[in-house]
Amino acid sequence: MAMMAYDERRILEMLHEDDFSRRRAFEAIVKNFSEQLYWQIRHMVLSHDDANDILQNTFIKAWTNLDSFMGYSRISTWLYRIAVNETLTFLNKQKTSIPLETDNDGELSLADQLESDPWFDGDQTERQLQEAIATLPERQRMVFNMKYFNEMKYEEISEILGTSVGALKASFHIAVKKIEEYFDKID
Amino acid sequence: MEKERLYKIDEREARRPFTVPEGYFENLTQNIMASLPEQESIYSTNIVVTPWMRIRPYLYAAAAFAGIFFCIKAAVGINSRNNALEIAQEETTIYSDEYIDSFLETAMIDDYTLYYTLVDAN
Repeated sequence: MAMMAYDERRILEMLHEDDFSRRRAFEAIVKNFSEQLYWQIRHMVLSHDDANDILQNTFIKAWTNLDSFMGYSRISTWLYRIAVNETLTFLNKQKTSIPLETDNDGELSLADQLESDPWFDGDQTERQLQEAIATLPERQRMVFNMKYFNEMKYEEISEILGTSVGALKASFHIAVKKIEEYFDKID
Repeated sequence: MEKERLYKIDEREARRPFTVPEGYFENLTQNIMASLPEQESIYSTNIVVTPWMRIRPYLYAAAAFAGIFFCIKAAVGINSRNNALEIAQEETTIYSDEYIDSFLETAMIDDYTLYYTLVDAN
């Protein structure tokens, strides 16, 4: 069966029609948004396997809560909100924080873990950038990733996180300063 | 990539240092759709019919008819009283006070006899 083209108005209608139309509409939603959601999650959790699991959970949550989506926001905003919640829940459940430097027990630092990760192809500086980003508080890290790597507009981020554009701009600039200071320290 | 350039993040072109297994995104939609739980159909006909559900429509109909019956009965009762009033008013209009007075003068009956005549008539 050919995948239907993404037309948000038509999609919203189909979500409230028969079971077949509902499933077709959801499939179009998955096809349209899954990749960008994946990268949003991946930049936060770093591991491909973890990002894949969280992405699956995001769409399962969206599917089982379709009836509660009233169409007041865009579908993308709704999905991003679910993805953000699932990501933060996952990070909170991670009891052990990833150490930034090797400790006495010889645990690998984040940079070392990324070096051995088959799904990371950055150089040493990019590994250190990921370390610097990992020092940021979770929501600030999320804002930085959304703006810097995903190139989202502040207005989009504001809709998803429920934070004002002004606060987001301030958060991003503070994040940039912290990252630059991190590089100063390790230099 | 020179480290110095990263000190000015705003000027740096962002690059994702992450990769994915081959074919991951090509198969992603299919994998996600396959992982979705079966959703209870909004057009499901698997409804269990209890005895109460069977007789409920008849009870509702009976209650509706009873309600209509009593409404009609009440309305007819009011109309009956109204008609009685109208009839009484007609009867009194037929016999005006002047007629009654003239009747009394010519009938030569006293008040006592007139009283009992009227009572018997009613």
